[in-house]
Amino acid sequence: MKDAVSPFRYPEDVKPLFLETEDLVFEDGTCITTEQMWDFMTKEGPARYPYAFNTQASFGGQLSGDVTFLSGIKQNYLSMTHMDRIRDMHEKGKPIVIVRGWITSEPYYAAGCISVGPPFPRGWMLQQIQGQDFRQASLRGMALLEEARQNLTIESCNLIAYLALLKRNQLPVSAIAPCICTGCSDMAYGTVACRSGPIKVPAFFLDYPVNYNHGEGRVEYLETGIRELTEKLGAVSGKTVTDEMLTAEIKRENQARRIVRECQKMWWEAKVPPTNSIDNSYVHLGSMGAFDYTVAIQLLKEYYREIGERIHNGVLGHGLSSDPARLFICGSCVHPNGAFIDKKGGVIVGKDDQWSTMTMDVKESGNPYENLARAVASHPYERPTEERAEWTAEQVKDSRADGVIFMYNWGCNYQSAVAGMITDIIKERTGLPAICIELGELTRMESLEQSQNRVEAFIEMLR
Amino acid sequence: MNMALTNLQKIQEAVERRPGEIDALKKNGQKVLGWIGYTLPEEIIHAAGIIPVRLGRGGDDRLVEIGSRYISTQNCVFIRATAGLFAENSDPYVQKSDGVAFDTTCMQVYRLGEVTKYYFRKKTFFLGVPRCFQTPQARQYFLMELEEFTLRLEEFSGKKIESHALAASIGLYNEIREAIKALYMHAAHDNPPVITWHEIYGVVHAGYYLDRQEYLALLKDLLHEIEELRDAGVVGKASKRVRILLSGSVIAPGDTKLIDIITGLNGNIIADDLWSGLDPYIGIDIREPTLKGIADAYMDRLLPPAIPHLDQSTDNRLHNLKDAVKESSADGVIYHSLRYCDSVTFKGLEMKEFLSHEKIPFLEIHTEYAKSDIEAIRTRSEAFIEMVKFRKQAGGRI
Repeated sequence: MKDAVSPFRYPEDVKPLFLETEDLVFEDGTCITTEQMWDFMTKEGPARYPYAFNTQASFGGQLSGDVTFLSGIKQNYLSMTHMDRIRDMHEKGKPIVIVRGWITSEPYYAAGCISVGPPFPRGWMLQQIQGQDFRQASLRGMALLEEARQNLTIESCNLIAYLALLKRNQLPVSAIAPCICTGCSDMAYGTVACRSGPIKVPAFFLDYPVNYNHGEGRVEYLETGIRELTEKLGAVSGKTVTDEMLTAEIKRENQARRIVRECQKMWWEAKVPPTNSIDNSYVHLGSMGAFDYTVAIQLLKEYYREIGERIHNGVLGHGLSSDPARLFICGSCVHPNGAFIDKKGGVIVGKDDQWSTMTMDVKESGNPYENLARAVASHPYERPTEERAEWTAEQVKDSRADGVIFMYNWGCNYQSAVAGMITDIIKERTGLPAICIELGELTRMESLEQSQNRVEAFIEMLR
Repeated sequence: MNMALTNLQKIQEAVERRPGEIDALKKNGQKVLGWIGYTLPEEIIHAAGIIPVRLGRGGDDRLVEIGSRYISTQNCVFIRATAGLFAENSDPYVQKSDGVAFDTTCMQVYRLGEVTKYYFRKKTFFLGVPRCFQTPQARQYFLMELEEFTLRLEEFSGKKIESHALAASIGLYNEIREAIKALYMHAAHDNPPVITWHEIYGVVHAGYYLDRQEYLALLKDLLHEIEELRDAGVVGKASKRVRILLSGSVIAPGDTKLIDIITGLNGNIIADDLWSGLDPYIGIDIREPTLKGIADAYMDRLLPPAIPHLDQSTDNRLHNLKDAVKESSADGVIYHSLRYCDSVTFKGLEMKEFLSHEKIPFLEIHTEYAKSDIEAIRTRSEAFIEMVKFRKQAGGRI
């Protein structure tokens, strides 16, 4: 049965405006013209991924619908074609390495690897079959989740469970090399589970020391760990990473983080939110770099200009109510459905985990490993929980949020453990309402009612 | 406890006296440090002149519910129950603890420490533990953490740890470890044993609270008594019951559900691979009486289940289990995984496959402290024990 709801389409009258913008240029010099992007988003994309153009409110991955926000269209293009680009890069010899979170990307990219998140196996296998509608893609996703859990445990969070697909499916993954920290409980044990089974993927960790009693000792430990991680990644890619190469990558990613910080500052200070919740997710570009930091930086610059113009002209993000309830999101690697929040009268103003990484400004001269270790060691998100909560409360104030949602995945031990404590501290420091919501449906396309009901009730209370 | 062994009775009486003794010691200015963790060298606490008490209780669903108000329902039931223990503050050892130490081997324990500090205003100590024990930098880091931890203990007790005191404590703990291992040998090797695994498990838990010198003396007396009874032939008939080795998540004091079910089904638990049982006592070889000696020994020991070791071939935990099954002539392994104890639960499938290669029967029991699954566990355990019994009768050919 085909989806009953009319799919989203970009209107042709936007095309001339879009074509006036810059082409995207990637690290290897490949240029994708605006004409090519437009064609993809209006012809090839809808044919290959019909489900992505679904507009059902329950679908958490839908396009923003802001057809005049041209940087947003480009980001949608990048995210819809990312598997194609990863495949191309991989075929040209770039190893794919599974990581978790946003602690640091520099060693991976300096070593010539592509770092992808734990759901990569699902994404890869899902896009093998194209032309699926919403229901078909949803069922396929559920089947993959079930297969993954059968090979791991029912208590794994839905996101990490997909690692177990590596045990029985030949996928183009060269290594699993996450940073083990308080951000995720399941990544460490999910990786260990991959050490046995018919297919074994090489794995190594960056160990993040969580105890803050020993300042300099932690930095030294991290420095050695980052150096070893970089060497191992270099062995995977066949590259010897020099200090100069790592410094160059630090500079590149510093630039991305700086632009994100500038965009976010501007966005937070704007009289009305200039973009909707989906288009406000450009922070991703600073933390994961769209798998190509060169193009991510170009797009972030376009974001900066366009957001600035919108603020200057007093433009309100598409689909937002005139005075939306501003929500700051905390918690594990999950966020509520932006389209749903906008529809119910809210807007997402920030997310603590990625934002924590964006605050990182790595020193660009001297020993790059020490510089990186020093920056990584000071991640607010990884600090002792009381300190993290104090930092978060400041971000909540800066973002002029009206309320805070601490959201965590089902199965997430470390973030759920401190959800109540963090929201209690934020409530005390800001006087704002804060709620904890457990999310069970992560990466599923359907069955979102439980969490959405809670989010909707919270927004109604704020309004 | 087996009242035929008079020293078991003495240990029981010592445990009953202990809260009163601690009160008296506290009046004289001695500090009590409760601790929860896996890689926390109690020797150092003892050498600082502080009374160490290993905290945590299991089996009480009511405490789980209370703890869930402060920590999440996504945390393992032992962690939730222990949070409930702090919230309720009626456990004598929680009450008497002037501070609580947590290590970060299991990061849920670390989170419990944070929650304890914030909500229950306990003085807390954290000991950082690396996640990859084998690397030189991990050893260096752990040594730094131990040095910092020691400094904080010295501030807490108001007394510097002298090297001779540390050496004496290490010697004491080495003897305790040897005595516990000797007790387990009796349960695993003697048939019938003079002392059962169940009784030994109680003795281990008594050691959480007792004065360590007194505890060692009681252990020595108990071992002596066992030897005497064995030499005198005061033992019953050899048992043909199915011999079970228990592995997996901690089975903390108070949590008797699975143990009662197995023994009620005529299963004979003869050994364990539990951090609440034998595991903390094995594989520790402190070669020099210094913090470095302790750090190295704790990094070389049996890997705690919460350490994400990436190489199966060097995972001494798996190989220790295989050896323990052989040495104890266990007929099968029951793998106890507590709800949301990820470090154990995620390894269940691998453990099953690993033991299957060795032709060792395996049953995973995934449970929590609620009583609602007792009959389900009983049915599964009974089927397993029956299956293993038939296999045993057929000479392992099934």
